Amino acid sequence: MSTRDWSVFLLPVAAIAAPAHAVDYLTVAQAQVLLVPGAKSFVEQPLKLNDEQRERIKAASGVRQRWDEQKVWRAERDGALQAWFIVDEVIGKHEFITYAAAISPDGHVLGVEIMSYRETHGGQIREAEWRKKLVGKTLADPFKLDEDVPNISGATLSCRNVLDGVKRLLVVHKLFLSRA
Amino acid sequence: MTLLRKPLLAVAALALSLPALADENLFGYVRGAEVLPKGASEAYQWFTQRSDKGAGTYRALDSKTEFEYGVTDRFQVSAELNMLSINTSGLLIDGYLPGDKKYGLRLQGFEVGFKYNFLSPAKDDFGLSATTSLEYGMLDVHSGQKKTEYEIESQLQAQKYFMEGQLTWVGNVGVRAAYEKRKAIANLPDGFDWPTDPEMEINLKIGTGLSYRFAPNWYIGAEVMRESEYETEVGLERWSTFAGPSLHYGGDKWWATLTYFKQLRGGGEMYAGQTDTNLHLIEKTKNEVRLKVGYNF
Repeated sequence: MSTRDWSVFLLPVAAIAAPAHAVDYLTVAQAQVLLVPGAKSFVEQPLKLNDEQRERIKAASGVRQRWDEQKVWRAERDGALQAWFIVDEVIGKHEFITYAAAISPDGHVLGVEIMSYRETHGGQIREAEWRKKLVGKTLADPFKLDEDVPNISGATLSCRNVLDGVKRLLVVHKLFLSRA
Repeated sequence: MTLLRKPLLAVAALALSLPALADENLFGYVRGAEVLPKGASEAYQWFTQRSDKGAGTYRALDSKTEFEYGVTDRFQVSAELNMLSINTSGLLIDGYLPGDKKYGLRLQGFEVGFKYNFLSPAKDDFGLSATTSLEYGMLDVHSGQKKTEYEIESQLQAQKYFMEGQLTWVGNVGVRAAYEKRKAIANLPDGFDWPTDPEMEINLKIGTGLSYRFAPNWYIGAEVMRESEYETEVGLERWSTFAGPSLHYGGDKWWATLTYFKQLRGGGEMYAGQTDTNLHLIEKTKNEVRLKVGYNF
């Protein structure tokens, strides 16, 4: 029996080359309408962050600001600021979870929508029941799983990272958007 | 090879045709602390090839087919079916390897396991779980000869996420106790020792691993495992340290992990004529390769 013969049981590895099936649930425009229905226009205003600013975000939120540009829109109605609409990504079990958050001018969460989720477990994270637990959150809240937001078994890492991500966006708002 | 090719191809084809879902093992040998959520099921298949004792020809293939079920969000149960294939020739190890042996996959034994999660690595910052497994074996996985074996193994798994989960550390410590009784063999070589009295063996295992997600779905890792074998009469009888890299793919439906495990150091009893004096080759081999493929339901 040669070594080559045994390679047959590596066959399933060939399937590894196939990319994961990605599912995008919402476009940016759809998420904007859902989160800030009263807005008439969304003005793109990307936030560029230097290293020092990213460090400040990490220090205040406890998690890394991975990107040097945060995708931000001003949600306006008749020229007046209604909310900040921010698209963000956090680490899921396997892939990045793309989500959007709307933050009021005074710094509380108006809503969160999951735009892309590709994990095995934890599809409940997309359901309104879980996401509405984030509505109204401010930086004064604990942001702890099973304390102020329920955990979803099998998707604990995803829940934790979305929760931490929303807190980080509130920090981004406080540091760079609240006076913009 | 014909003995192996058909069942292996069948398993591979079955694996590729199943609907793919998954919990996942980032490593081949060390184990993480996470458990399945309540009501979730996982099936997985793994193969371990053990090869090279430094003399003659030695290749063994272990197959494990496992089903796991999450009873609660913290407690899961599992059932496993183990198979063995072996091809050894040109090597006699007194008391352990009585002669040439070659056969394709045969039923080796059964196993049931339990895992309880005390702390969640994502929620509590530090994960901790405990496992216990009970195994019944009918074949000696080292020689391929018939043997009756009852085994219990308990282990603690610690897990810590870093970088929001991009980097995962796992640590294991465990103990295994086994009652073993070999079947008598006819036509043994002259003077060959093949004790058939029941014996007890205790193993201690300690291992650790680090895995980094370098691209979406892809993880590269390294793991190390030290195993010490104790017997009543001689105390520490043998020990070995294996280490190697792991490559893991985790999709939304299924996962696979490939690990190359090389024996770095070993000690204790050696066979007559063993040239690699810093390795344990009585029961272990120089190299192992393990492939796991998992699916969740």
